[in-house]
Amino acid sequence: MGEQSLSEFMLQNLQHFWDLTGFNNATWEHFVMLAVGMFFLWLAIKKNFEPMLLVPIGFGILIGNIPFAAGTEVGIYEEGTVLNILYNGVSAGWYPPLIFLGIGAMTDFTALIANPKLMLVGAAAQFGIFGAYMVALALGFAPDQAGAIAIIGGADGPTAIFLSSKLAPNLMGAIAVSAYSYMALVPVIQPPIMRLLTTKKERVIKMKPARAVSQNEKIIFPIVGLLLTCFVVPTALPLLGMLFFGNLLRECGVTTRLAKTASNALTDIVTILLGMTVGASTQASEFLTAETIGIFALGFMAFIIASTSGVLFVKLFNLVLPKSKKLNPLIGNAGVSAVPMSARISNNLGLEYDPSNYLLMHAMGPNVAGVIGSATAAGVLLAFLA
Amino acid sequence: MKKNILLVIIAVVACAMTSYAQGRKGLCINEVMVQNDSSSIIDEYGLYHAWVELFNSTHAPMEISSVFLTNDPNVPKKYPVPLGDVKTEIPSRQHVIFWADNEPNKGTFHLSFQLEAGKDNWIGIYDADGITLIDSVTVPANLASNTTWARIADGETGWEVRDGSEAKYITPSSNNIIVDTNGKVDMFAEKDANGFVLTLMAMAIVFSALLVLSICFYIISKTGEKISKINKLKAQGIAPEEVAKGEKINDSGEEIAAIAMALHEHLNAHDQENTILTINKVKRAYSPWSSKIYGLRELPRR
Repeated sequence: MGEQSLSEFMLQNLQHFWDLTGFNNATWEHFVMLAVGMFFLWLAIKKNFEPMLLVPIGFGILIGNIPFAAGTEVGIYEEGTVLNILYNGVSAGWYPPLIFLGIGAMTDFTALIANPKLMLVGAAAQFGIFGAYMVALALGFAPDQAGAIAIIGGADGPTAIFLSSKLAPNLMGAIAVSAYSYMALVPVIQPPIMRLLTTKKERVIKMKPARAVSQNEKIIFPIVGLLLTCFVVPTALPLLGMLFFGNLLRECGVTTRLAKTASNALTDIVTILLGMTVGASTQASEFLTAETIGIFALGFMAFIIASTSGVLFVKLFNLVLPKSKKLNPLIGNAGVSAVPMSARISNNLGLEYDPSNYLLMHAMGPNVAGVIGSATAAGVLLAFLA
Repeated sequence: MKKNILLVIIAVVACAMTSYAQGRKGLCINEVMVQNDSSSIIDEYGLYHAWVELFNSTHAPMEISSVFLTNDPNVPKKYPVPLGDVKTEIPSRQHVIFWADNEPNKGTFHLSFQLEAGKDNWIGIYDADGITLIDSVTVPANLASNTTWARIADGETGWEVRDGSEAKYITPSSNNIIVDTNGKVDMFAEKDANGFVLTLMAMAIVFSALLVLSICFYIISKTGEKISKINKLKAQGIAPEEVAKGEKINDSGEEIAAIAMALHEHLNAHDQENTILTINKVKRAYSPWSSKIYGLRELPRR
């Protein structure tokens, strides 16, 4: 082998190496997605918008959009790759129930048990899902796709992933990113709607403090809740089963260690994997389509409809409630299940108009009812359309 | 002792339930061809034989090794499906074909009996105990050559003759009804194009589920309140009937707080602090894993 052939050999290998590099495989779509990922990271780190979600998702978008040559077995959609194995929790839908286990172990249902009628506020806010479903149909989406997109209105990321993995797996990346983005933007989206739909007089309504709830009631709640809701909608069993199971671990008093693991370590691990893989699933080729823009627009609208219907339902409900038991319509927005962000918004807005009016605990009622409501709504959509 | 007995009972019930859950009740005979002269289906040796299609009607994989296939109810253990073949696990809602060629040495899926044309052919599947009949079918004697006796839909009760025509296609190792679309979605797309009906139904279901839950908890809370009140009275030595007749017992937190504050104001009671500051050394077990010296750097704090 002479000197010439050695250089040729080197050149050939370098050429092959160049073919594999991101620079050679990059398209403008990759750069758009990398910019989106960086925007998410900026929102999370600089603006503190849901950093626990947006940092993994944003970085996942960067991971998923590093250009590479097809067949190098690194992509999230290539079977057997590390990312593909981690993505199985999303595509097969087993991350969301684990997150729900953690949510159950973290959630205190006291506010809801003390005032069970607040469950109806959580139910009313689910109109956001079905309102968006009708609009999605009008825009030409098939019923199963429309159902998967509409669930964004539930403001519940794990539920959105769970449902879209069953009804429209091809749209799951866009739906998940859209759901989590709007959940992060709840403090921006909801207050103007709440101000628009309420009068100053309504905003200062003081609600009666919640009664004390016994430990027995707290233990009975997850058991009865599971039986009642899952007998009606067994399709929601993976979500509601885990939610109520997590809550029982928390409340029964004899499994504190399990409850701590479920609400801390387990939830953190699954959140990291879920966020990162959902972000990485937004490969430019799959993500940058006209459908994605439609999904983002519909998701935004679903959020608005959900918040609106929650607030309007409280106003309507007040018409039949005695004066002493009237609800502050500012807790209506909390019917979407962005826990506890939307309840915090109710509280902040309430304090803005009356510094002595703390609505947080009252708003937590519809907020946690929203979690149950959106999981039930997902189960209903699954039963009708899967 | 009682606790041990209870544990044994629970274990026995759990075992019984598990064994029931693992039964092969969902295995069924799905389609049978008695005379296979020139149909398009041949075995792995390129030969035409009668065949029996089994279907796993459950939504979980089913291992069928050690079940028995037979054409004689008096000899239930005629052909045991051999152990150790990975192909004997039928995936959920899938099929497997057995060749009735009386040549079991050819492989797992070759039965030790043949089906006879022009006669009624009884075929049965027995569970591993050789006693429990899982499923059976009698194929009519008048079944023509290259036609099958098949369930109208997989795992369902009705049977029909299939002659291979466009309407009555023969489906070895495949669904008896081939569905290429999602019927529910198509139905909603056609009958409920604007989504109003689904919205109405779904909202009604979500509302009623949460309404029932809320009513249920209203009742539970009222009952709980009543019970705790009675218990409290009992602890104070007051009979519940006395309270029903007499004055109302009030124990709301707000009222107790108001009384406490009023007493505090009236008595001008203030806590007396001793104003002694004590500093105790905090002892922590040393571990190099948590040592700052060995850490690369501290995490940034915002």
